[in-house]
Amino acid sequence: MADIKIGAYICKGCGIGERLDTAQLTLIAQKEGKAQVVREHEFLCNQSGVELIKNDIANEGVNHVVIAACSRRSKAETFNFENVAISRANLREGVIWITPADEDKKEIVQEMAADYIRMGCAESAKMQIPRTNPNLGNNKRLLVVGGGITGLTAAIEASKTGYDVLLVEKSASLGGWAAKLHKRVPDREPYAEPMDTGIADLIKKIESDKHIKVNLNSTITKTSGAPGQFSVDISTESGSTATENVGGIIMASGFTPYDMNKLPYLGAGKSKDVVDQLGLEELAHAANGGPIKRPSDGKEVKSVVFVQCAGQRSDKEGELPYCSGHCCNTSVKQAMYFRNQNPDIDTNVIYTDLRTPGNGEDFYRSAQNKGVIFTKGKVNEVTTGSAGLEVKFKDLILNEDVVAKADLVVLATGQVANSGIDMEAQLLAEAAAAADDKAAKDAGEAAIERVEKPKGVSILNLTYRQGPDLPHLKHGFNDSHFICFPYETRRTGIYSAGPVRRPMDMAQAIEDATGAALKAIQAVENASLGRAAHPRSGDLSFPEFRREGCTQCKRCTVECPFGAIDEDEARYPVFNESRCRRCGTCMGACPVRVISFENYSVDTVGSQIKNIDFPDQFSEKPRILVLACENDAYPALDMAAMNRFQYSAFTRVVPVRCLGSINTIWVTDALNSGYDGVILMGCQKGDNYQCHFVRGSALAHERMSKIDDTLKQLSLEAERVKTYEVAITDIERAPALINEMAETIQKIGLSPLKF
Amino acid sequence: MTDLNKAMVETYRNDFLKEVEANVEEGNWVKMCMQCGVCSGSCPFGPDWEHPPQEIFAMIRAGKRDEVLKSESMWMCTSCYNCIVRCPRELPITHIMHGLANYAHRLGIAPKMNPTRRFAKIFWDNIAKSGRVNELELSIRLYFMNGFMKGIKTGLEMLPVGLGMLKTKRLNPFGLFAHGGIKRKGELHKMLKKAYEIEDKRKGFAK
Amino acid sequence: MTDVVATNETILVVGGGISGMTAALEAAECGKDVVLVEKNPSLGGRVNQLYKYFPKLCHPTCGMEINLRRLRANKRIRVLTLSEVKTITGKPGDYTATITISPRYVNENCTACGECEKAVSTEITNPYNYGMDKTKAAYLPFAMAYPPRYVIDPSLIGTPEAEKAKAACKYDAIDLGMKEETINFKVGAVVWATGWKPYDAAKIQPYGYDRYPNVITSVEFERLMDPFGPTGGKLVRPSDGKEAKNVAFIQCAGSRDRNHLKHCSRICCMASLKQSTYVREKYADDANVSIYYIDIRAIDRFEDFYKKIQADPKVKFIKSKVANITVDKEGNPILHGVDTEGYHRYDNSHDLVVLAIGMEPSVDASRIMPGVKADASGFIDIHATTEAVFGAGCASNALDVNRSVQSATAGALRAIQVINRVSRAEA
Repeated sequence: MADIKIGAYICKGCGIGERLDTAQLTLIAQKEGKAQVVREHEFLCNQSGVELIKNDIANEGVNHVVIAACSRRSKAETFNFENVAISRANLREGVIWITPADEDKKEIVQEMAADYIRMGCAESAKMQIPRTNPNLGNNKRLLVVGGGITGLTAAIEASKTGYDVLLVEKSASLGGWAAKLHKRVPDREPYAEPMDTGIADLIKKIESDKHIKVNLNSTITKTSGAPGQFSVDISTESGSTATENVGGIIMASGFTPYDMNKLPYLGAGKSKDVVDQLGLEELAHAANGGPIKRPSDGKEVKSVVFVQCAGQRSDKEGELPYCSGHCCNTSVKQAMYFRNQNPDIDTNVIYTDLRTPGNGEDFYRSAQNKGVIFTKGKVNEVTTGSAGLEVKFKDLILNEDVVAKADLVVLATGQVANSGIDMEAQLLAEAAAAADDKAAKDAGEAAIERVEKPKGVSILNLTYRQGPDLPHLKHGFNDSHFICFPYETRRTGIYSAGPVRRPMDMAQAIEDATGAALKAIQAVENASLGRAAHPRSGDLSFPEFRREGCTQCKRCTVECPFGAIDEDEARYPVFNESRCRRCGTCMGACPVRVISFENYSVDTVGSQIKNIDFPDQFSEKPRILVLACENDAYPALDMAAMNRFQYSAFTRVVPVRCLGSINTIWVTDALNSGYDGVILMGCQKGDNYQCHFVRGSALAHERMSKIDDTLKQLSLEAERVKTYEVAITDIERAPALINEMAETIQKIGLSPLKF
Repeated sequence: MTDLNKAMVETYRNDFLKEVEANVEEGNWVKMCMQCGVCSGSCPFGPDWEHPPQEIFAMIRAGKRDEVLKSESMWMCTSCYNCIVRCPRELPITHIMHGLANYAHRLGIAPKMNPTRRFAKIFWDNIAKSGRVNELELSIRLYFMNGFMKGIKTGLEMLPVGLGMLKTKRLNPFGLFAHGGIKRKGELHKMLKKAYEIEDKRKGFAK
Repeated sequence: MTDVVATNETILVVGGGISGMTAALEAAECGKDVVLVEKNPSLGGRVNQLYKYFPKLCHPTCGMEINLRRLRANKRIRVLTLSEVKTITGKPGDYTATITISPRYVNENCTACGECEKAVSTEITNPYNYGMDKTKAAYLPFAMAYPPRYVIDPSLIGTPEAEKAKAACKYDAIDLGMKEETINFKVGAVVWATGWKPYDAAKIQPYGYDRYPNVITSVEFERLMDPFGPTGGKLVRPSDGKEAKNVAFIQCAGSRDRNHLKHCSRICCMASLKQSTYVREKYADDANVSIYYIDIRAIDRFEDFYKKIQADPKVKFIKSKVANITVDKEGNPILHGVDTEGYHRYDNSHDLVVLAIGMEPSVDASRIMPGVKADASGFIDIHATTEAVFGAGCASNALDVNRSVQSATAGALRAIQVINRVSRAEA
């Protein structure tokens, strides 16, 4: 490794020069920060300032740069130099904008700035320029799992972009449920008539595309590796298995129709003339434009009732709590099958909320125009009467109980995701069961008999420590948790698309498949360059561990939110760099601190924490350490500064990649070295967590809840360490929390550990 | 039950919506209603409706033939057109209300004593006779619509207005005796007869 | 002169809201060169003016922060703000885009220190807060603006105030001589992500948006909650600053209506459900919310959120399209109509009325160029369009944020396909 040569650049612009003694800061950078080159500049971010730095890099051999100016969020593009390690000391948003300009405060403000210089230089000395992941994978072929409309679309779009595709379909033919539809809901003007599914053409295109290899009657029995280098075992029904290599995976395993036999009160299973929507598609298909006949006796259907939300939007045990989104439009379409063939057929759609968003409204109107009757009502029961089926419902407009007679009843049942095994739910169930067992044992009872843990058939059979499939989000769907980032997967390089992600119709599935194809392509391109995927896109750092120090405790492998770390036979962690998202949760988890990134490690942060100047115990100057999540809390503090909201000048803020990366040693070291209070600021945790590394904030809260013992050992008050959930909009609250800590310290006194 | 009513019940069985679509002016719009209720809320006579328009549409679809046709509700419509202007589905609600009232009247099942219906009849008879409205005759018939004593009472109440109108020559007292009107009244009556024929044929009422 | 290096392998992304930013970032992170054009002084678009997202109730600026970090780290994206596409000519894989750039009067020297703002006293209506308050005529569009650079309002040019602003700047960042520029460059494909605008509420005459100050739109309501909003995050009504504790939401304000927008705008039901939580957040048990609706369209998993709100005893649902609004002496809006579930008339008084305003495309797609076709609502119709111009987000349909981002990602791939065809042909 080349020698480190630190250049520190102190900007005097934006009032820094007026408020601070930059000459003193220069001295500190030289003497304490060990910066070989230190320069002040009137206006560092302008061309001459940037040239100055570039010149030092080119001619003075500076390879580590400390920018002492504004926040790292400002002028990031300006202070961006190739092959140079960059640290930022935040003198503007972090010092002069959050402190008063009063003469009597000048000293403590200067001390604050001086500490940020020390911290910037200390970090710089400990960090390295990322060399990029050495364990690259260059396979750019994509695996598409599922041959329904989503999978076919993903395959054809990837092929059109110039990527080879391996398509695996469980059944004997392509097309999925879409191929079983008589017609589809229109996706174009004038949104008035059912239209051809187009699936036959799409299958033809796939079959003639030499860049797409199709494996029918096949399932995935093993997936290992990482983006750019997945190894996939594909087994056929006949029992043969072939191993294929791919770079990225699109999981388009679709849905299973809800089993309508669970709805006997709606006549399902009791009468052949009660069908679900796919059952009706079959009847329409068989009729082939002629009159649709009812299954029981082949009589032409003269009246049909559609029961919306059958077994959906329901609180009943075993039914679906969610809405499947497409069913209103589907019933509208199916009612048209009847009216288009014979306008005398009675078609009644009974609904509670008719949900035809966007241009679906035109389709709804078109059905009304064709004489389809829509009745706002709640169906209670479907029974078989002498003259056919009777649908008993409450008409919610006329507020009365009504019986509608029908030859045929169509139940609009929902979609159930084929999302494989939810390891997290299983682990939770196991933990709950173990707790129950323990409680029973403690109470001297026999072990409780309990429902079996959730089971299922895995789709991907990943060999990952964190389970064989993508984690589920809710109700069995494995959607992304993030509104801004629908493709923010928790298994790098593997993207779900279509109704396995969330209930959806064909139009949305096609759009989703196209998006997922882009993400999979991006993942293989990133993997071949050793770059991290979203949200730390482009990050070239990667985690390493010191084997000799490792105690094989497995905390890193368990806590990695992305399943990036396997275990070898000796139970040492095996890092899959291409799966890693560089959050540092493993680093925070490691009790022996052997995990680090080149530019982010226990040392880079630890040395910042320790390398401040602690005033003597008589000076009444406390020190508060704030470890702030760089995505939400740190920007909130920046924006507070833009509004000139003030917080204690005794504060030293260190941005962290994620609260999950905080190793408790930082907190204990901080307290040991003389900080009077420590605040952790992370994102919201819990069901609606906002942490983009999933459990970072939750983990920090858990870890910190255990720090009380340590505090006791040090005979410190528990109030000295606080962990908060801070949103990016908390521009008033975040400074207030810091000031609260300052008041607490004033109340309980300075730390006894200062000396 | 009138013959026509019986015939219609026979023809449409229980499909009241189809009956309305075929026989009621603008009746084919009824199916387009999405039950938002903006018409019901927009009607200045709203509180006086037993069944507001949107509910009538729901009742038609639910096959409540008698309840709709015998209702006084659609006779409440004053043609202010608020509902038409606001209807998000562009239903010609005013016309449908008049159409329903007219249809019920034709079938002979409209409420006999409904004042709107009776006024309409008096008005029509008045104008159809001569081609012009005889205001004095119309007012007096209206006053006496509910009986002789009531007529005298209303007449006396309105006396100052009548005198005022006389003074400003807004009222011709001889109109009571000489029903003026247009020239060639016979031609008008012929036209109206023909119009009835066409209308009945179009709506299927013709024998 | 603004310098843009672009070739027929460059993707032009029009619109710098979340859809446009997504399309640009996803394409650039696939290794493609992108020019991102935004007509406002900052990227961010309409989601940045929201207080929270449904159904997670998280803050849009959190995602904006990530996207800005991605953007700052990516050298393949060239951002042009205050810029509008005038014409696009040529054919797929070989277009020439003509862009006009309005003067910002502030150059890249700006450090966002804020001295010019202090020096200026002239105020202009603040577009970021939908004109509900004023901002200085030398301003940073909002705290997270990108580029983080001030703007001098054109109305200031030629006044002594402009000179004051210039004098206050120590970094030579203010250039009062800037002129509008027109530039041309080559691109291979276009992602059109110009987003949506709220339907003009004044056109819904019976609701009196133009007559009653206490009838506001859903987008304005978002600003009332924001700490950077016109009330500093206080939920008070415009007429008298009284606390808005009893709030009515009127659904389908402009949408699903042949007199206004014929389509369903998809987001408004969820937006009102979300906004009901705002009232509860501010006033706890003193809050009362009434939602007047035709159908509650809480599609797929959103149903969970609907159920949660339904279970709240302080939120009432009334199946009714409100007929009209009047006001009493105190300025309280009174809603008149009929609850159609069983026929109940109401004349309900509220502190504040929020119109769940419909969504229409900002730009009628049929005006872009002849080969780009629009549907009857003005959204880009991908099936009828013959050019390599791909709609993304709300330029293509009435979509929520999540679906917009999916659409933008798909749009980026379609553009990449064109670019890759070009590069294969040229290889």
